[in-house]
Amino acid sequence: MSDDILRVEGLKISYAVGTSKVRAVDDATFSIPSGSIVGLVGESGCGKTTVARGLTRIMAKSASFDGGEVFFDGKNLLSLSEPDMNELRWRDIAFIPQSAMNSLDPVYTIEKQINEVLIQRGGYNKTDARARAEELFEMVGIEKQRLGDYPHQFSGGMRQRVAIALALALNPKLVIADEPVTALDVIVQRQILDTLKSLQDKLGISVILVTHDISVVAYVCDRIVVMYAGRVVESGDTTTVLTAPYHPYTMGLYNAFPDLQSSEGLLTPIEGHPPDLSNPPDGCRFAPRCPFAEDRCRTSDIPLIDVGGGHFAACLRSSEADALREQAAKPETWAEMA
Amino acid sequence: MLWAVATILFLMFRLMPSNPLAAYIDPTFTVEQQAALMAKFGLDRPLWEQYFIYLWNLLQGELGDSFFYRQPVGTRVLELLPNTLILTFSSLIIAYTFGIIVGAWLAWKRDTFAERAAIPLVLTTRALPEFWLGMLLLALFSFTLGWFPAGGTRSPGSEYASYFALYTSRDFLSHLVLPAMTLAIYSQGLPLLLMRSNMLEVMNEDFVTMARIKGLSSWTVVVRHAARNALLPVMTSFAIAVGYQIQGNVVVETVFSWPGLGRELVNAVSASDYPLAQGAFLMIAVVVVLMNLLADLLYTLLDPRISHA
Amino acid sequence: MRSATAEPANTGNPVMRVLRKIRLPLDDPFAVVGLLIYAVFFLVAIFADQLATHDPLEILFDKDYQLAADLRPLEDGFVLGTTSLGRDIYSQLIYGSRSALLIGLTAAFMVAVIGTVVGLLSGYFGGWIDILLMRAADIAFGIPFLPFVIVLAAFLEPSIWNVVLAMALILWRDTGRVIRSQVLTLRTRAYIDAARVSGSSDLKIVFRHIAPNILPLSFLYGSIAIGWAILTEAAISFLGFGDPETISWGYMLQDAYASQALSQGGYYWFVPPGICIVLVVVAGFFISRGYEEILFPKLKE
Repeated sequence: MSDDILRVEGLKISYAVGTSKVRAVDDATFSIPSGSIVGLVGESGCGKTTVARGLTRIMAKSASFDGGEVFFDGKNLLSLSEPDMNELRWRDIAFIPQSAMNSLDPVYTIEKQINEVLIQRGGYNKTDARARAEELFEMVGIEKQRLGDYPHQFSGGMRQRVAIALALALNPKLVIADEPVTALDVIVQRQILDTLKSLQDKLGISVILVTHDISVVAYVCDRIVVMYAGRVVESGDTTTVLTAPYHPYTMGLYNAFPDLQSSEGLLTPIEGHPPDLSNPPDGCRFAPRCPFAEDRCRTSDIPLIDVGGGHFAACLRSSEADALREQAAKPETWAEMA
Repeated sequence: MLWAVATILFLMFRLMPSNPLAAYIDPTFTVEQQAALMAKFGLDRPLWEQYFIYLWNLLQGELGDSFFYRQPVGTRVLELLPNTLILTFSSLIIAYTFGIIVGAWLAWKRDTFAERAAIPLVLTTRALPEFWLGMLLLALFSFTLGWFPAGGTRSPGSEYASYFALYTSRDFLSHLVLPAMTLAIYSQGLPLLLMRSNMLEVMNEDFVTMARIKGLSSWTVVVRHAARNALLPVMTSFAIAVGYQIQGNVVVETVFSWPGLGRELVNAVSASDYPLAQGAFLMIAVVVVLMNLLADLLYTLLDPRISHA
Repeated sequence: MRSATAEPANTGNPVMRVLRKIRLPLDDPFAVVGLLIYAVFFLVAIFADQLATHDPLEILFDKDYQLAADLRPLEDGFVLGTTSLGRDIYSQLIYGSRSALLIGLTAAFMVAVIGTVVGLLSGYFGGWIDILLMRAADIAFGIPFLPFVIVLAAFLEPSIWNVVLAMALILWRDTGRVIRSQVLTLRTRAYIDAARVSGSSDLKIVFRHIAPNILPLSFLYGSIAIGWAILTEAAISFLGFGDPETISWGYMLQDAYASQALSQGGYYWFVPPGICIVLVVVAGFFISRGYEEILFPKLKE
């Protein structure tokens, strides 16, 4: 599809732990259509943050790419030279971190930190930079007088707005938001997500929203990519995937989260733990926790297949999805796995 | 605080077993003459009275007269203070500049051969007795190679119109090189190790990672963000180091016959010149306490989290 | 590695408990080097009488009954030469290790003991005891260390014990403060509460539950104090306020300095004692770093 701003194919990233390697991302494949918000969702440790950071190629020292391709705007990011990649950073691909508190330098004012990007990366002069900074603050809903404040003088929600302003400074094509609202309370979460959504609409940018919270995805995302144990298990249009999931993990994940707008209904947890990635099981990695797993699930590799309308799932029993969905809605089904 | 130090000082000097006037009194003095002298220095009064007189005098900046020089201790001490301060600050500025840059560089080069070899080397410089290091430099660069003068602050017979002319003269500076280098070599370890460990910590902070994701130049990332943050505690330690160095100067000033407070203290103690020793000691204590205060102040000024709370 | 203060140490007999707490930092290569250096100097100090070729203070004469002064190394069989007064440098060096270790260890012991007791009392009982002791520590921080030792050493009788005493009177401050804050955190642990609820006396809690857990810290600060004490004693001796009866490396350096060895290129005289000081002190640093890594494992990261 040519109108995808980003296409990730078979991405593999591993961490060196002592002398061994842990493959945190194993064969991840998904795409981000231009001008959409895509939610990358999964439990902690599933590799979603590693993917997000991998897209910037700024990773922990112990992390390395083991294969795959990342096409951004027609360029393969993994084969770009470091200077070329650096040109792209922030101008084309910006980042909203989980904790703006730790991501803002405590010793400089916000204005200085915005200016740094505008002047060093955007080629602004000082006067233009001031005007742009004020415009950015207005966009995210903070009074411009507060530009001269230090990070610690803002509340958590405000800091997250500052982080959004910073990310939008150079009109990027893609914004990667890594758990942008996780540390906030629910009301502030909604405000921030509303701001993000309206700015994304207005500016026509694309957003990857990394989160463990499926209700956040349901609230703002056009598309969803579900990851489990380093692999993409399901992806597609948010409404389609969430109303008619094909992968049991997605079904379970949906049960396990409260709705952002209402807190009705019982939560059913998925029993067990994700597998140890230094020694992953054969076949479907969710099989040990899956109430519907069969013997063949534990041996063969499971491809991500099109189940119709750009909706992909990696489950051998996807043809029986309707029946499985019915069973998955019952808490007993999951309780038996305990 | 200074009051407590002054009190301890008083007790130390007054409760010593030997007669404080021993050095002053000629054996040929008659008993009456001795008594008169005791009275002159107020030593015939009860201890508590002496104590209050001492405190009262201190408050007025009155430190008494030196037995040896027969001139006010205050004048003498203030004359020597600039020499000590110049030596201390010049050596510490060299030490901190070097230590901060190399410390940051070593953090950058973590886990390389250079880094692994440098750490024990730096620890070794911290283990050097300052006076021995001074002796080595003196023997090597002054006596064997003849590059620098052996001691004092100026060549015999040289006169200068003003203190400024003296302190900026080639002659003075060439006298300064060896003692300042001695102290600098000894002191660079603290800022170096501190800077290195702070850098290592700060390099893991999210805002440094973010600066890289922003595509900022390595210089901006390492210097403007990482080093600037790592520098905070190092700068605070500068003030403490000044206070510490002033005490340590005692031996180096002695090795290089540098006319400063430390050498004066040693000479005064050797000559049992109590008022002078007490004055020099007190002056050093004042600098130590002031520098500890300055350290707190600096930290407040440099860290916006505290100054803009 | 586990934090040394993670678990209560209340099993086994007291001696074993203490020994287990004072783990030697054998994982760290530098600490091992440090321990080896100490071992060598210990052996030298113990067997000084056998190793020395001459009485260190004896004025020696050569075969022709001339004063054996200012001899170069290996001249006339003097390994490191002789001083201006005809004393054997090598033998002085050997005997110097005795006073260095004696001073270093006693000072370290006193610093560790005073600091630990102050920290324990201050941290455990709080209140006015805490205020009083911490104010005393503040004052100790305000007193210039070396000048204080000089004055005290000069006014009291010149003996190494007075130097050690003067150092201990100041250096306990760092140990005391650190131990106090450690005790403050330990005091809030559940097992201390449990002990208190079950009716243990304060004394029992302090010595049975808290003290064993802060011992490694006392050791750390003690091992740092060894180096400090040796350096300070050397400086005091160099300035001429040391014990004239005792041969120490500082005394040798003072002798060399005063005898113009510097201007006469007598490197063989003043280089070896300095190297010995550096070795012992740096060994202390290495060991204390090893301890730090045991105590604060995050430094390894």
